[in-house]
Amino acid sequence: MAIEYKKSVATFSEFISVEEAEALLEWLLKNPKGKVNFAECTHIHASSLQVLMALKPTIVAEPKDADLAVWLKVALAD
Amino acid sequence: MNNLLEQFLSEGRDFLQGIGEKLMQLEDEPNSTPLMTELFRFVHTLKGNSGLFEFPEMTRVLHASEDLMDAVRNGRVGYSQDLADQLLDAMDFVGMLMDEIEATGEISKNHAVPAAEHAQVLRSLLVVSESNADSNSDLHTSSEIKSEVNSLLAELPIFELEESVAEELYLHALEGETAFWVEYKPESDCFFKGEDPLFLMRQVPDTLWRHIILNNTAPILAEMDVYSNQLVFQLLTTAPSEELDDLFRYVPDEIKRIEIPALAFVRPTGNQDDHAIDIDFIDNALALLNKNNISVLTQIINTMLELSAPELWSSSVLRWVLRLLEHEPDNKTAQHALLKSLQTLTAPDWSAPAEHVERSDSKEVEHATTSVNVRKTEEDDELLQNFYVVVNAQREILSLSHKSGFSWTAGRLKSIASTLMGCYRAVNRECNIDNVLERALAENSPTPLLTWLEESLANNEQDVEIEVETDFSEISTSSESTPNALISDHKDAHENVVHNEAKTARRVDEVSTVVPKTLKVDQDKIDRLMNLIGEMVVAKNALPYLANRAETVFGVRDLSREIKAQYAVINRVAEEMQDTIMQVRMMPVSFIFQRFPRMVRDISRKLGKEVELVLEGESTEADKNIVEALSDPLIHIVRNSLDHGLEQPDVRLAAGKNATGKLTIRATQESDRVLIEIMDDGKGIDPKIIKHKAYEKGLIDETTLERISDQDAINLIFAAGFSTVEVISDLSGRGVGMDVVRSAVEKVNGTVGIESQVGKGTRIHLSLPLSMAVTNVIIIESNKQIFGVPMDMVVETVRVPRSQIRTIKHKQTTVLRGRVVPLLSLNQLLARGVEQLPNEDDEFATLIVRVHGEHIGILVDEFRETVDIILKPMAGILGGLSSYSGAALLGDGSVLMVLNPRELI
Amino acid sequence: MPKSILIVDDSVTMLMSVKTNLEMNKFKVETADDGVKALAKLTSGFKPDLIITDINMPNMGGIELIKKIRTLPGFRFTPILTLTTESQQGKRDEGKAAGATGWLVKPVGGTDLLKIIKQVLPGA
Repeated sequence: MAIEYKKSVATFSEFISVEEAEALLEWLLKNPKGKVNFAECTHIHASSLQVLMALKPTIVAEPKDADLAVWLKVALAD
Repeated sequence: MNNLLEQFLSEGRDFLQGIGEKLMQLEDEPNSTPLMTELFRFVHTLKGNSGLFEFPEMTRVLHASEDLMDAVRNGRVGYSQDLADQLLDAMDFVGMLMDEIEATGEISKNHAVPAAEHAQVLRSLLVVSESNADSNSDLHTSSEIKSEVNSLLAELPIFELEESVAEELYLHALEGETAFWVEYKPESDCFFKGEDPLFLMRQVPDTLWRHIILNNTAPILAEMDVYSNQLVFQLLTTAPSEELDDLFRYVPDEIKRIEIPALAFVRPTGNQDDHAIDIDFIDNALALLNKNNISVLTQIINTMLELSAPELWSSSVLRWVLRLLEHEPDNKTAQHALLKSLQTLTAPDWSAPAEHVERSDSKEVEHATTSVNVRKTEEDDELLQNFYVVVNAQREILSLSHKSGFSWTAGRLKSIASTLMGCYRAVNRECNIDNVLERALAENSPTPLLTWLEESLANNEQDVEIEVETDFSEISTSSESTPNALISDHKDAHENVVHNEAKTARRVDEVSTVVPKTLKVDQDKIDRLMNLIGEMVVAKNALPYLANRAETVFGVRDLSREIKAQYAVINRVAEEMQDTIMQVRMMPVSFIFQRFPRMVRDISRKLGKEVELVLEGESTEADKNIVEALSDPLIHIVRNSLDHGLEQPDVRLAAGKNATGKLTIRATQESDRVLIEIMDDGKGIDPKIIKHKAYEKGLIDETTLERISDQDAINLIFAAGFSTVEVISDLSGRGVGMDVVRSAVEKVNGTVGIESQVGKGTRIHLSLPLSMAVTNVIIIESNKQIFGVPMDMVVETVRVPRSQIRTIKHKQTTVLRGRVVPLLSLNQLLARGVEQLPNEDDEFATLIVRVHGEHIGILVDEFRETVDIILKPMAGILGGLSSYSGAALLGDGSVLMVLNPRELI
Repeated sequence: MPKSILIVDDSVTMLMSVKTNLEMNKFKVETADDGVKALAKLTSGFKPDLIITDINMPNMGGIELIKKIRTLPGFRFTPILTLTTESQQGKRDEGKAAGATGWLVKPVGGTDLLKIIKQVLPGA
């Protein structure tokens, strides 16, 4: 239901709502080498998506949701 | 159509006109509050009115315009040229919708998308400008938006599609499964409306390609406003249109949607650095395409593909050619353009109008066959062009393969021969090629065919010129048959006039103190009045005959005198009536001048030039027909000036001129003629280049080339056959269509002249009669018949003694005031085998006429009086006789045929 | 976890019809019959995933309600749909300007309602 932040990996699960964006930005700024795990994620609100696009963190796992995977790929490609 | 709708349309057009005018005025006074207020009121009222009807497309655009103007009026958005551009575009669109409503009573559904685009562009101007109001950068941003929309089709990011995906989409599109390109630019505060743009985009079905752009405006990431949307989404989908409408119904103004035509997917991809295709192959392929030899074409392309690396750009082009050949076999233009792209190494620009491609064809044609100036109807023009394209391709094949030792099989020779026969049949020309083919087959060589073809082409050029002459004369004798190109504008002009009149009439109610009392009269009624007075003039001319008869036949001298006195009265009244009716038909040239500010502005901006347009003498009046006839030539000339006369700002600066070019259009009245001058301070025309081009085209011979004066050389640009596409690029480019200008002007008895100084500029002047109604002709007698000759062509009448006539190179000439004047006998010109009758002193009555600036003497039997006549163009079969410009009734009821010396000689 | 929806309308018939419809589709539904009561519900700990509100209501109308909701902490981003009639084009725009996500057109049919809710409510 939300993003769980561990030491160096933020794990996204299911629906990431609009409010998550602020915390995500903060965490990524604080952990410039922080990685993201989308495996269990099914949707990311545009607010968090733009944070991801601005900071381009390393992805440790792509989402199992194929459609989201395609969108994240075009959004986070170099 | 109901009254309310009619009222709306006619009032709406006034508003559109008003909006256009105010916008132009604003360019000069961008801070004028009264202008802004007025402009807003126009847009506001128009929008309000449109809401009374079910025209959502129109209302939508107007609504966006209103919001934008409101913001401008309140100073929230700064006025800029780009803003004016967008508004003008939007108003043009609304005008187009009005035309459609007028014609069909409704607006086609096809306009929904463009309407949304217009509204969106206007709104984006509003949003962007508002959010950037402090930084004052609205001009920059809005120009970005403009160029983005303008080049949308050209810049569609589907270049990035893999070829296989593009192929799939192309095939889908051909089958009528429309693909849409959708761009979604959510408002920055959309999250605060509970929206999730990504979620919305993910719901679009059948997405084949997608793209997301982040426009992060924060200078440092820590300051990024995560709750202000900075994303722009783009995708390509084959979803049905209604489904997209449904999905985006809450955000229509944030959506840009474009239907992608099949050809837009035809985008060669791949490595362009290594250019593997040689020119011979391309020429060969083009030739095969031209003669529609698809099987061989397919074969050579397949071979080339086997020899080339598949990842090359050129290979991709070839694969696309094959696909087009298979799926769109009739789209030769596209196939041709693709093959051509192998030469240019740039993908064909499908968004450009198709004529672009065709024009490059005609260039080759004209180049290859020396100039053939074809002033015919468009279809004939096209047919003839195609004829030359195909025939020349055959010639190239015959000669090329001849050199390279290509092996000739009977089949190939036969195929070329049958292609040629087909071509010649299509343009109704004889093609006795059977014997030639037999010889070629016997020798197993293309040479006989090639020789035949070259001879035939050389002969045909003459044919073409004769055909052109005939056509040209049709145009100039019959007022009804205008050249096609002119017709549509004539119609427009006509409508505009009616519209203009309507407007004046309405304004009377509003401000009766300013506008003089005006009556709205149907033009047909005026024309009828004009015809009646014409008959009246003719009828009254019968009175002097009657008076003569009274005296000579019946011997009543008193009655004769009374008739003559009465005639004087009727004559005066009739002349005054005629004058008055002619006055009614007079209209100011401002009617055609008023379109120039917009046109000059649009074109010069497109070309990146700076041009100051000066209009003078706009209130000068002339007959409506004359003013209308002026319209096209003027547009032509102005375009030429902008295109080729005036230089780019940097070039001008380098030449020590003001960066802004000056284009002056001046109208003045000089006795019974209107003079129009179009002057620019551009680079002028170089007579040297003209001379050489004319020589190359065979318009002048070597001696003329040496002797010709600079002025005469410049005048050559009016010569038929001079203007070719090729010429434009080489010299200042005035050649294009100047012969068309001249013929259009001459058609209404006008003349055109040009003066030019290299580096200084060019002045073109047109002189036209004020009215076409009455023609002054001199009556001459020849072979016991009488004919009229328009006085404006006659320089003088002289009697030439037989002893003064010299024969030079089988041509009769005489010397008149130190000038050699060629003499022609009218009987001969009219193909009567009779010698002209000299008078008792053995002198020939000779009419000196001016034709294209040259003096020529026409020998006739006798001169008679000059009369004013109402010249009627001849109709039916007689209308095709180019040597007559028309006929008129004389006072005694007989018919006078009026000669047209221009065509006669 | 079922999504919760707050419906605000002064017409009991309308409330009942929409409520029944949504509950049949596994939504948790709360109702309020004017803007004031709706605000009271929202400030007393109920946090719906979607709010559907009528425009013309006594005490506090829909437009004012939307504006107020957007100032409440926790409701800045909540999707809101207005209930409008076919002729209320102006009100729809007004609602959007005040912060609504979209609108429903009365009478609200079952399939339309669900389709639109699915469009604006991720995970529904």
